[in-house]
Amino acid sequence: MPRIGFWTIVLIFTWLLLFALLFIPVGSVLVSSLYDNAGNFTLGNYIKAIGDERIQRAFFNTLLVGFGGLAGALILGSIMAFCVSRFEITGGRFVSLLAIMALVSPPFIGAYSWIVLFGSAGIARTALKSIGINIPTIYGLSGILIVFSLKFYPYVYLMVSGALSNVNRSLEEAAEGLGLTPFQRAMKISFPLVLPALSAGGLLALIHAIADFGTPRLIGRGFNVLATEAFTLYSAEIGSNMSMATTISVILVLMSMVFVLMQRYMSRRNVYHGNMINKPHKIRLRGWKNVLAHFAVYAIGLAGAIPVIVAVIYSFRKTSGPVFQSGFALQSYERIVFGLGDVITNSLTFSVASVVLIVLIGTLIGCLVARRTTLNTSLLDGALMVPYVMPGIVIGIAFIAAFNTGPVVLTGTAAIIILSIFIRRLPYTVRTTSSALRQIGPNMEEAAISLGYSPFRAFLKVTVPLIVPGIIAGAMLSFVTAINELSSSLVLYVGRTMTMPVRIYLLILDGDFGTAAALSTILLLLSGTAVYIAFRFLGRNEQALL
Amino acid sequence: MAYLTVANATKRFGETFTALKDVSISVERGEFFTLLGPSGCGKTTLLRSIAGFNQLTSGSILIEGRDLGSVPPHKRDIGMVFQDYAVFPHLTVFDNVAFGLKARKVAKDEIARRVPQALDAVRLGALADRLPAAMSGGQQQRIGLARAMVINPQLLLMDEPLSNLDAKLRVELREEIRDIQKQIGIAAIYVTHDQEEALAISDRICVMSNGHIEQLGTPQQIYGNPQTLFVASFVGTINALQPGPALDGLLTTLGLAELAAAHANSKWVVRPENLVIAKVAAASGEPQATISGRIAKYTYLGREAHLQIRTDLGDLVVHVANPDRTSVQLEGDVTVAVARSAVLGFDADGKRIGG
Repeated sequence: MPRIGFWTIVLIFTWLLLFALLFIPVGSVLVSSLYDNAGNFTLGNYIKAIGDERIQRAFFNTLLVGFGGLAGALILGSIMAFCVSRFEITGGRFVSLLAIMALVSPPFIGAYSWIVLFGSAGIARTALKSIGINIPTIYGLSGILIVFSLKFYPYVYLMVSGALSNVNRSLEEAAEGLGLTPFQRAMKISFPLVLPALSAGGLLALIHAIADFGTPRLIGRGFNVLATEAFTLYSAEIGSNMSMATTISVILVLMSMVFVLMQRYMSRRNVYHGNMINKPHKIRLRGWKNVLAHFAVYAIGLAGAIPVIVAVIYSFRKTSGPVFQSGFALQSYERIVFGLGDVITNSLTFSVASVVLIVLIGTLIGCLVARRTTLNTSLLDGALMVPYVMPGIVIGIAFIAAFNTGPVVLTGTAAIIILSIFIRRLPYTVRTTSSALRQIGPNMEEAAISLGYSPFRAFLKVTVPLIVPGIIAGAMLSFVTAINELSSSLVLYVGRTMTMPVRIYLLILDGDFGTAAALSTILLLLSGTAVYIAFRFLGRNEQALL
Repeated sequence: MAYLTVANATKRFGETFTALKDVSISVERGEFFTLLGPSGCGKTTLLRSIAGFNQLTSGSILIEGRDLGSVPPHKRDIGMVFQDYAVFPHLTVFDNVAFGLKARKVAKDEIARRVPQALDAVRLGALADRLPAAMSGGQQQRIGLARAMVINPQLLLMDEPLSNLDAKLRVELREEIRDIQKQIGIAAIYVTHDQEEALAISDRICVMSNGHIEQLGTPQQIYGNPQTLFVASFVGTINALQPGPALDGLLTTLGLAELAAAHANSKWVVRPENLVIAKVAAASGEPQATISGRIAKYTYLGREAHLQIRTDLGDLVVHVANPDRTSVQLEGDVTVAVARSAVLGFDADGKRIGG
């Protein structure tokens, strides 16, 4: 049968792809961390890393920002989720929009905007000082934690509000009938039911927090984490220490792997599929409770979206060189149009190219995983987990290590950036495709076959139209991730292949905030458009963003 | 020669599980043929084998003498209706029904003529331009039915088409399915686990369990003259008579003692509606017996009432029709009359004796 031949080719191709882009590069990172500069096998790098006070500190700092971000995201996210899904909040959709804005903006924009407001010469801080209130600058650990909490709370919010609106009201009414007070009811019924969502959302925040590079780099001021440490060691002009950088990468991967496995375990425990006959309804609060709920929701939503708002406003401010003047002008945009057009072109080309690759290959692999369940495909499913645990900075370093020399040299090309985005985002598409296919089930195709369509035509005529909206939406969300990617591109870029996030990062380091803000606004606009298109196809399914 | 013949069909899944064991059936042109049985009895496997979605391990399927063994499912020209409707959500009602006609390269104007006809037959004519997503289960299944019939298939297969619908709609739609099938005179095979539905809709019923045929016959034969204990208990309800001296006495009175003696460990049952609360059953000239007992429970159901009576033969349920018009005793001692033909005997293997 020709079809089996086709899928066998897909299977072989997928394994080749995974080996070439994942196992060999990442494997070589692992291996190179086990050799010293002279090429002899050694565990010395690990011993040195464990003994090195600086790396020890980075290790604990990573855990600190991870769990700090987790705690902040949990608090903000669950308050917002509870208020929005249980009370009537005026403008609830607008609040959700604010959360989505916080989610799709790259974290380093957040860091930068907070510096504008609360840095040493931050406007909010200066204003407060003028009325006699002295607050510390945002730099350091507290700043990172604030940024992470406000940046990652949407993970918790979207997960938990989804779970909360799926708790059958009858359960709570039953508890009420058994004599539980509202507080007891919340603690004994609602809380256990949303606990899996809560922990899964929290761990997502944690995973992103420990992998984040931009925020600690910009706002940390000497507060080092593993991601920044790996980058510093890699990029040091003199004495670049590749083997130590890879050693730290491996430690970071291991750490992230633990949490990803926990996250998957938690989301799999999300098994309370009650019947949805009795959907929960929202209560209209009165008096001070109503004010408090609205205040909480809007405060969190606006604080999370402040970076975006600041960036947009600052992009229109009049500048003289890198210095802001009073008044508004389009100078920053002019500078982009005349000087940085190629950066935008690069970003768009790379993102579109990788999304096209992701959609074509990811859909094919998704079909393979969903429809041909053998040992080989479930192994493949497992192997596709690997990119989930890879922080971008590690993929970047791994690609440099693998494609710098040897049979395929890709360093400095556009291909290496496209491929690094491709391999990181591929598993998401494979998963959405295969789960969409599993949902459709074979009956629909069988109906078409019984009506006279060959299996292949039935697939084209029935299954493909049904999964296409999901694929397009997935592609748009991949595009958002692709165009906002900083950490791997920062390692992989050369002058010709500079992307918008890299340029923004460098502009902020140079102190040219106006241009950075304008470029950020363009980036946000592109991301927002993609999210809008995705929602058009998915029907406003905010959980798909996770 | 029958229109559809399935001969010695056996289907094994893997090494160990045999879903069909040497099943043979034949269906006549225009016949409504039902496969009835509990889940896992092999009825759906047989249906899917006829459709071509399962390959038989051995055996053959013929339509008008043509072997379907090597014909792929999309060339079998068989209409199929699914339990979960399998209506294409991305197509309008019209396009759903036209789907099979397009595969057959039917001319546009003919499609425009035949689809509304089919939709009118299932009373969906007014909804042709709607998308099926927001429609009720009953409407979706009507689409499924119209879609399967509009192609004028050689055979119509229905896999528990009504089991996802609520009770009232189920009755309504099964009448419609029956009417339409008779109107166009197509041979139909219908799978269900609902015995009442099977009795109501079928020309012939094939009762299956564990991959083999228990009994094949008209609804009257299946219900009134079950050939195995399984059929007697699966189709309708039965009272099992407890073995012991009381049963021996009853069988002697009815002249069944010899038959019982000829079969060790025989089992005797009687349907609740064949027991009469009275000293004598309706005069019919056949041997009768009486059983005395005490009413343990009275259940009123409107058009009938169920009396649970504690007797030496165990608890017996007696159905009383139209309890409001007949004076029914609600408690106390009663006498139940039973005629010889109402008592069904089965041997140790569950095969009917003396039927």
